[in-house]
Amino acid sequence: MRRTASLVLLACAVFCAALSPLTRWYAFPHLARIPANQYQDVVLEARNATLLDYGTMRAKKVPQVTIVQTLKGDVAAARKIEKTAHRPVVVWNALSYVQGPDGKMVSEVPERYIFDAHSQAPVHATGEMVDGDPVRRAGIEFKWPFLTQKRDYEYFDAQTRTTSPIHYEGTREFRGLKVYCFEQTVPWTRVPMPKSMPVKGITPQTVARTGTTRWYTTVRRFWVEPVTGAPVYGEEIHREELRGGTLLGGRAEVTAFAGDVKMREDYVEHTVALVKHNRTLVLALTSYVPRGTLALGLLLLALSLVLEARARRPAGPAPAPTTRPRPVSA
Amino acid sequence: MRALIAAATGLLLALALVLTIDALGTPSGRTSPKPLLTTVPAHP
Repeated sequence: MRRTASLVLLACAVFCAALSPLTRWYAFPHLARIPANQYQDVVLEARNATLLDYGTMRAKKVPQVTIVQTLKGDVAAARKIEKTAHRPVVVWNALSYVQGPDGKMVSEVPERYIFDAHSQAPVHATGEMVDGDPVRRAGIEFKWPFLTQKRDYEYFDAQTRTTSPIHYEGTREFRGLKVYCFEQTVPWTRVPMPKSMPVKGITPQTVARTGTTRWYTTVRRFWVEPVTGAPVYGEEIHREELRGGTLLGGRAEVTAFAGDVKMREDYVEHTVALVKHNRTLVLALTSYVPRGTLALGLLLLALSLVLEARARRPAGPAPAPTTRPRPVSA
Repeated sequence: MRALIAAATGLLLALALVLTIDALGTPSGRTSPKPLLTTVPAHP
């Protein structure tokens, strides 16, 4: 009986011990993935910003500029690309919609971002674009990989269509979460005009004919929760200028937009709550289950060995053999 | 010999469990019908 029990315990011990590395190094990369059908929006605001008045072609102070950023997973496109990429893929159709204080559109920039659902590495396929221009991304955008490390990452900048390092600046506490702070500075760079302009009749082509060019610089900061790789807060010190050409009436440059763009408070709260929930799920695969099953496996193994040792121990001294006395003969 | 069989059973069960969970995978669902926003939402 004891021997059977020890064998059952041994099987359970091996089951648990094997589950530990299998969960961490097999199940985690296969199960921790960005859902292909993810839909997410975030609102950012720049208070007391400077905005170009296209009527007068002069910069003016405005109380607020709002940026609505939407990410929408295209499931059908992801399934199609997966067949050739041979890995799980997410296709995000994104839109950055900028709205002035009067509620009118300032600019809108669509993007299509294709990436590996677990590692966040870019996947190159037809349709990858920024504002209709085909791009070939390197590095990450919008989100960091699961189990983000304390190091610099390559981050794609949609305005310049280039990738440059985003530097790890330290760790801090943010609303009960440990976050890694990252910062990227994009120096003044000439960038294309948005395809959608705020004034009817003005197109990138008509602006190009005047010789006026658009320049941009930004300092962007993200506070990233390292387990999920999700930014819980973001801000940008963003500057745009129009330079040269006949459109500016002899001026060298005019500010098109300047402002400190920050996530709206209700979206910060919502994102923190969402990340806290998802963090628990990722930790289950990377920490709770592997450690718990390993400990349980060792405990069961010890119990199994104890039972086996007891089963082998003799129960007591063997009875002495009874011998019949021989008849005595003279 | 019986101990080896027991250990192999435990290992196979663990592999079977993990492979089954992996095969079930994460549901991809359908593309959200919600549009890319061109208005400022009142709340998340």
